Amino acid sequence: MSIQPYTEDQADALQEVANIAMGQAGDSLARILDNFVTLSVPRIRQIEVKELADTVTAMVGEEDVSAVRQAFYNALRGEAIVIFTQSGADELAELLGYDCELDAAIEQELLLEVGNLLVGAILNGISDTLGTELGFSAPSLMAEHTPLRQVLAPDRLTWEQALLVEVNFSVEKHRFKSHLLMFMTEETIETLRHILDDFMDGL
Amino acid sequence: MAVPLTVVDDSKISRKMVIRALPPGWDVEITQAENGEEALAAYRAGKADVMFLDLTMPVMDGYEVLEQLQKESLNTFVVVISADIQPEAQERVKKLGAMAFIKKPVKTENIVAVLEEYGLL
Repeated sequence: MSIQPYTEDQADALQEVANIAMGQAGDSLARILDNFVTLSVPRIRQIEVKELADTVTAMVGEEDVSAVRQAFYNALRGEAIVIFTQSGADELAELLGYDCELDAAIEQELLLEVGNLLVGAILNGISDTLGTELGFSAPSLMAEHTPLRQVLAPDRLTWEQALLVEVNFSVEKHRFKSHLLMFMTEETIETLRHILDDFMDGL
Repeated sequence: MAVPLTVVDDSKISRKMVIRALPPGWDVEITQAENGEEALAAYRAGKADVMFLDLTMPVMDGYEVLEQLQKESLNTFVVVISADIQPEAQERVKKLGAMAFIKKPVKTENIVAVLEEYGLL
């Protein structure tokens, strides 16, 4: 199934919605880390799922990562994945005020908590801006200290084409960095097209 | 007399959202700019007594516009409109001379509050 790319206006609207939602997620993160968070410009791509690992590796780098995933549903369906680079995961504990050696269970809990915070904030930002309903599942740990390519092996996603939205958050003066990826299903690409059109008609 | 207002944002949709949120009673003559260079050109053409300024833009971003305005002692009322709502981001732009900060998505009531605070409405 081949899906028509978004028009320039649809892409512009989606970029702006992602930007607003990312701002809210960044603010939530800044509050719990008690640090200024540098935000990226959202990157949006319509991709074949088999290119996924290459596309994301180009954005994140060839690294070992830990990852937390959550499914979202209702108006839009897909997966949200928060990727922590190794240094990002290590710095997280320090930024949150843990100064002792962490056991694995606590580290996992921190990853889940921060992943959930970012995903919740960004999904709420999107649903508030577009006036849609979005639900999401509890976070689950997808991988720890695993090469990124392995985390994103294509057999983990069952559809052929996906809309990918990537934003990233970093903390100046620390080596903290995390990437939030949203993958939306083929069906959602079309649903979102109509939602974006309605959103623009309302302006 | 209509106030010359320039709305600066690289996103057309975002400029539309800002313009739609302008208070109905505010008499303005609107100019749109897609980046910092166009914003400064609009200012020099007398079209920006008030400037609504986005921060993240190609060619010349909002921070550079604020720096340039300061460097040349240019006199325009700048309201930064940004999705980056962290308190520290707001402090940074105010240090660079912005008069006010409004978060995206822009709401009419937030614009009214700023304009009333400074007696512009």
